[in-house]
Amino acid sequence: MGRMGLRDFSMLLAWVVIVVYFASAEATFLSSRNLAQLAIELSITAVLALGMLLIILPGHIDLSVGSGLGLMGGLAAVLVFHLGWPAPLALVVATGVSVLVYAGMGIFIARERIPAFIITLGGLLVFKGLHWLVIENSTVPVSAGGTTNLYSLLTTYYLPPFAGFALAGGMLALLVVLRIRSYRRRRAGGYGVEDAEMVFLRLLFAGQLILLFVLVMNRYQGVPISALLLGAVAVTVHLITQHTPFGRYLYAIGGNEEAAVISGIPIRRVVIGAFGIMGVIVALSGFLQTAYAGASTTTTGQLMELDAIAACVIGGTSLKGGRGSVIGVLFGALIMATLLNGMTLLAISPESKLIARGLVLSLAVWMDVRLSRTSGPVTLTR
Amino acid sequence: MPSSSEPLLRTRNLTKHFPGVTALKGVDFDLRPGEVHALCGENGAGKSTLIKILSGIHPNGSYEGEIQIEGEPASFASVRDAERAGLAVIYQELALIPEMSAAENIFLGQEPTRAGFVDWDRVYREARRLLDRFGIALDPRVRVEELGVGQQQLVEIAKALAKDSRILILDEPTAALSEHEIEVLLEIIRDLRRRGIACIYISHKLDEVFAIADRISVLRDGENVATFEARQVDHDEIIRHMVGREISELFPKHAASPGEVLLSVRDLCVAEYKGARLRLDGIALDVRAGEVVGLGGLMGAGRSELLLHLFGAWGQRESGEVRLCGSALTDCRPPEAIRRGLVLVSEDRKRFGLVPEQPVGFNLSLSSLARLSRGGWIAADEEARCNHRFFESLGIRAPSLDTPVAHLSGGNQQKVVLGKALMTEPRVVILDEPTRGIDVGAKVEVYELINQLVAQGLGVLIASSELPELMGIADRIVMLTNGRIGGTFSCAEATQERLLAAAMGHT
Repeated sequence: MGRMGLRDFSMLLAWVVIVVYFASAEATFLSSRNLAQLAIELSITAVLALGMLLIILPGHIDLSVGSGLGLMGGLAAVLVFHLGWPAPLALVVATGVSVLVYAGMGIFIARERIPAFIITLGGLLVFKGLHWLVIENSTVPVSAGGTTNLYSLLTTYYLPPFAGFALAGGMLALLVVLRIRSYRRRRAGGYGVEDAEMVFLRLLFAGQLILLFVLVMNRYQGVPISALLLGAVAVTVHLITQHTPFGRYLYAIGGNEEAAVISGIPIRRVVIGAFGIMGVIVALSGFLQTAYAGASTTTTGQLMELDAIAACVIGGTSLKGGRGSVIGVLFGALIMATLLNGMTLLAISPESKLIARGLVLSLAVWMDVRLSRTSGPVTLTR
Repeated sequence: MPSSSEPLLRTRNLTKHFPGVTALKGVDFDLRPGEVHALCGENGAGKSTLIKILSGIHPNGSYEGEIQIEGEPASFASVRDAERAGLAVIYQELALIPEMSAAENIFLGQEPTRAGFVDWDRVYREARRLLDRFGIALDPRVRVEELGVGQQQLVEIAKALAKDSRILILDEPTAALSEHEIEVLLEIIRDLRRRGIACIYISHKLDEVFAIADRISVLRDGENVATFEARQVDHDEIIRHMVGREISELFPKHAASPGEVLLSVRDLCVAEYKGARLRLDGIALDVRAGEVVGLGGLMGAGRSELLLHLFGAWGQRESGEVRLCGSALTDCRPPEAIRRGLVLVSEDRKRFGLVPEQPVGFNLSLSSLARLSRGGWIAADEEARCNHRFFESLGIRAPSLDTPVAHLSGGNQQKVVLGKALMTEPRVVILDEPTRGIDVGAKVEVYELINQLVAQGLGVLIASSELPELMGIADRIVMLTNGRIGGTFSCAEATQERLLAAAMGHT
């Protein structure tokens, strides 16, 4: 974790190249308004990709999340707009439905051993159909005309500037405390530790990034609430993957499922649990995406599963399972979100955008295959 | 056809090193045209390595020494090269595609074509002709999955013959065959011999070896210790040469003081799945506190199956009872087995033991995370302390707990697997081939560890295919033969000859 490898460096370089290209092609790319939008778009892509990480780590895949999030966002919109439910209740109910549906898919995958690829491909079609049924092929706004509610605020609320600074300060303090604790623990436990100077440099770098982000956001209307949600999801997924038995089991199952069985890991429960958490994340990103568009339409969420998978793979997650990290996925999502945002800004045609997305996904997987080629005792040449 | 004085195949001074182990030490071996030459030896004697070199799996350059075909030096860079030279191996695990017909399998990869399309008429016609020519009674149109294991074996042989192979290597071909199927197979091999095709025949079943072989070579510890004309030698002579060595001070002996029964197995009958053939039949054994029980038997006797079943990771119990510390273990899966104090160290540490990409620490604590967690969170301090303790006490040689376990040597990987098992604080430890593929130094460390465990009052059930190891480490030895108990011996009663006889079903 955390070591800057060649791969991370090339990722960073790729991102810088992308940013420089868009900034020179279209001056408004670096406008505070566009950067705020990019932050919101990044939040949505990254939240979904972090869920996807939990599915890919144990060696599965979820192709249904694009239409799944369309369905959940549409369901909540219908509850609010047509049935007049209070927004918080609608969000909670839609989240509950999502968890049940995704845990259900997890049961099929883990207990009946049907490949996740197929089950979630079926899910893709079923959820899309259900989505269109639920919104009756129309456009359903997330709030009654002109009003705001919790649902619409998900992508329209910005923290006031001082709150942004306070948040930045709080995060930095937390980071320092956690870092020092882990440093002490690793030294006491006989693990390798980095130089104290290196730790300090890292913290300084992270602190500058956070501060820069808040400054840029404050130039527009402040830190968007969706970025805060992303932060919360990222920290949660990081804690789950690094500090709970459940998270370790995800890596173990993906790394060697048979060894995981013999090590006494309850494989089925873990996989079902991962899909259950995916349910929460699908609902959340569905709310964000729908709120961002202002309404649920038949195309909400379309192809977002591919962006999420691409973000994971770009970020160093192995599609075979067993390897991947939160920080990598965040970076992968940043690259994907930047690409999509820039292409929209340059008014690139939808046709070319589709082709570009497809190429990026294929390229990322190709890179993963090249980089993770094992040098085991016997590698069969095909 | 070469003159019979010139061997068809000859190896000179074949030597193969693996990290930490020398698997073959200067093996000279020759095969005459139209001869069946049997290879005997205990597991680990080097038979598989020899075959893998001959068949191109260990390519030219990964070993020392020379292979000659009809007196000409030959070097195989791949399995294809070996096949082109007329060598074909028929493995114990068949390499057929079950959904395809016999004929499709026979011509797989070399289908006759017409204008780019497979000429199916010719496939079936030639398969028919081939099968008839070698007197193999089989319908080439039948799907392989509908055939019995014996007939599948014949399809494999036909597949090799379709490639114009002159040398067949049969690796334990009868391990899963019935008496009748074995008879059919041996008859076909005799017929092939009459047609000038030479066979290297590997089997643990000496009756079979004497029924078919012209000559018999015995491998032991990677050396070809003797080659006999089959007519001039008997069973005992072969077994004596297979066993050969003295039990040295390799085994630090502990004083046994068995306590109460920890693991008790009664009348256990297990099939792979409900209604299938019984793979374990009427197994009964006890493991007491402070006692090492050895489990022996030939390949396919059911050792691993028994151990995996006790641990809840294999098979469908048809009848019988397993009790752990007095209470019944029924329908128990590995997580529950570990919680209740039973842990397994599997024979195949790469496949069942380790998550190779992950660091040593990750692997060590993997089975104990439930105990090392407080309210759903891993107690990092406690985990680090535990990992550190086992890292030190087992003497795992690795740069740190962060090193990916794949970078460790075989012996140190094995210590990580052992450490993972012991960290669960078990009452009974099941070890399946704990010293396979590790060097002598690491072996002794494993034996000493086992002694420490029993000294602490744990029960140990250890399976090994090396008889000296069983006799050196175990207080009692249970030999399995074909899924049944072939005999139970106290440490004092056991001789290698008696154990081997029990393993072969002679009592």
